[in-house]
Amino acid sequence: MKYSKVIEEIIQKLIEIVGEENVKTEKDYLEKYSKDETSEVKPHLPEVVVFATKTEQVAKIIKLANEKLIPVTPRGAGTGLSGGAVPVYGGIVLSLEKMNQILEFNPEDLAVVVQPGVITGEIQKLAEEHGLYYAGDPASSESSSIGGNIAENAGGTRVIKYGPTSFHVLALEVVTPTGEIVRYGGKMLKNVMGYDMVRLMVGSEGTLGIVTKITLRLVPKPKYLSTLLVPFDSLENSINSVPKVLSTLGFLPSSIEFMDKESVKMASKFLNEEIPNMESPAHLIVEIEAQDKDSLAKSYMKLGDEMMKNGAVEVYIADNRHHREKIWKFRKAIAEGIIAFRPTHCMEDVSVPISKMPQIVLEAEKIARNNGIEVLSFGHVGDGNMHVTFLKPPEMSSDSWKERLENSLVELYKLTAKLGGSITGEHGVGVKRRRFLKIFMTEEEIEFMRKIKKALDPNMILNPGKIF
Amino acid sequence: MNIIVFIKQVPDTDKVKIDPETGTMIREGFEATINTFDLHALELAVRIKEKTESKVTTISMGPPNTEDILRQSIALGADEAILLTDRFFAGADTLATSVALARAIENIDFDLIIAGERATDGETGQVGPEVGVLLGIPVVSYVSKLVEIDKNSIVVERSVEDGIERWQVELPALIAVTRAVSEPRLPTLSGKKKAMKSSVKKLSASVLGLKPEEIGLRGSPTRVSKVFNVKVTRNVQMYEGENLQEGINRVVEILRGYVK
Repeated sequence: MKYSKVIEEIIQKLIEIVGEENVKTEKDYLEKYSKDETSEVKPHLPEVVVFATKTEQVAKIIKLANEKLIPVTPRGAGTGLSGGAVPVYGGIVLSLEKMNQILEFNPEDLAVVVQPGVITGEIQKLAEEHGLYYAGDPASSESSSIGGNIAENAGGTRVIKYGPTSFHVLALEVVTPTGEIVRYGGKMLKNVMGYDMVRLMVGSEGTLGIVTKITLRLVPKPKYLSTLLVPFDSLENSINSVPKVLSTLGFLPSSIEFMDKESVKMASKFLNEEIPNMESPAHLIVEIEAQDKDSLAKSYMKLGDEMMKNGAVEVYIADNRHHREKIWKFRKAIAEGIIAFRPTHCMEDVSVPISKMPQIVLEAEKIARNNGIEVLSFGHVGDGNMHVTFLKPPEMSSDSWKERLENSLVELYKLTAKLGGSITGEHGVGVKRRRFLKIFMTEEEIEFMRKIKKALDPNMILNPGKIF
Repeated sequence: MNIIVFIKQVPDTDKVKIDPETGTMIREGFEATINTFDLHALELAVRIKEKTESKVTTISMGPPNTEDILRQSIALGADEAILLTDRFFAGADTLATSVALARAIENIDFDLIIAGERATDGETGQVGPEVGVLLGIPVVSYVSKLVEIDKNSIVVERSVEDGIERWQVELPALIAVTRAVSEPRLPTLSGKKKAMKSSVKKLSASVLGLKPEEIGLRGSPTRVSKVFNVKVTRNVQMYEGENLQEGINRVVEILRGYVK
């Protein structure tokens, strides 16, 4: 695709649309908007950064981009993990950060209407203040925006019970790749009027439209929570216990998280804190919800007993806030530790059937060993999503790392595909994984998606260079 | 060795709000939980128990539902729990609370009392030391480390503004501990089961021989005349772009001042 440069005339038109204060060409801005939080993806400078404050502005910018053939990369809070917001063809980065208002809060409809730039944690907080719950909960909820969550169909730690972001989106207002403003869905759960355009948009990584208004579903807030920390005698037992325990429980936990020994060490180093049984090959974190204290106690007793029957060496039960926060802080510190201590790494996001998860973790260890690099694994056992993370050994040269990482990734992906899995569970394909998509999909399957893209975006101006 | 640990039930929040009209704490809408500082006190007691074959008894004064958090203390390693509960105890200030606790403890054989530094709701930090004084035993507050303990004495470190003091005191004694003293453990499944089966001993004012005028609101000389939120005023200085170097120099200057 041949794109045009952002010349002065275009800058002037952008200023006419959004005002001078919302058009930035200074080096500092261009650099900041050249990357997101993805490791192993090269930054790429945009030619201009534009902040939209209204849907109509977004539409006008897209129309202008079509007319002049300028690529547009939409961007939320920039916390993505697949390079989705990296402007690989330059052009315009269109930031939705300033569209950050909660427009309507409708507890009577169990719904909230927001703009895409709202930080997800703010929606959660608002709902909880009213006894309700926005159950979409990516680990980044304190920093990621809801628009970005929608673009990537973000998952997180509560997917096993509540589903990923797509389960919570009732309606969307979208600016199409050709600049029309369309609205699909409504404040109701049932709606089969035509194609499910809402689901098509969610997870489309900013390639099929720019979401400008979002209606989200709220559910009742669980009253009591308990978090169990469960060290196991073996990695296989920890994961294999999950389907066994679930089939006897009679209820669904809201989270089941996995941490291998290296992940536990990483979090411990970052926080300078320990958790019990640091030397166990694996720990699970299980969170359960209940409407009263008695049923909560019954639930964790039953769950604990079942875990003990399946290879747990101990079950620690946190049913007060202090203890619960301690466990979750530990879980969230894994990623922070990786960034702090092993900045050259590659965090993967493969997703496989639960029964295949032990194989993924064990094989990843072998793959890393054979390629002379390091690895740790943590993730969401409840939903099959494992963050296998390759780490560059400190003394290794950067060229050697690149080559070994590439080999390791190909091996990991081939295995994942063989096990019936997906290359990404919640981070997206973006730039980072597009060259590997062929391992998982046939030419026909990729072409079928490309046809949708071409039909909706004939000039290929919206977030080019992503997915395929 | 017999160790007693004070436990207080507090609202489960970091943001205590005061009703500006009545000057009392807004407790509605919050679940009750164990005062965090007391978890550290209990942890220290349980660690001593694990080394010296001691018995740990937790004690609290509060409404009947305080039983719940006392059970939690059993799940965390306490052997026994005592609850002072009576409508006559209601509305107690720190002195009236201390009078009741001291009376209950007089009837127990003990070597060491451990209290948390303060409660996250009242924030006074008075009850521990007051009980020690009423019982006529040595009191060491702000204990951040247990150095040594034997049958007759205890050696502790006490954090003060300019450093650390080391104290050796004879037992029985009372220590009030900071969070640094120990990191609370997580309750285990077996601990929870033990707690479910155990019973909490309840004591009323009359059983303790306490008269209504000694305890509760009537026994409380404290009167709250005014409660207000302290306004924190910070003077933020921003250094950006061209001024960045100046900002860095300023930070270095400030840090140097601290080191001196």
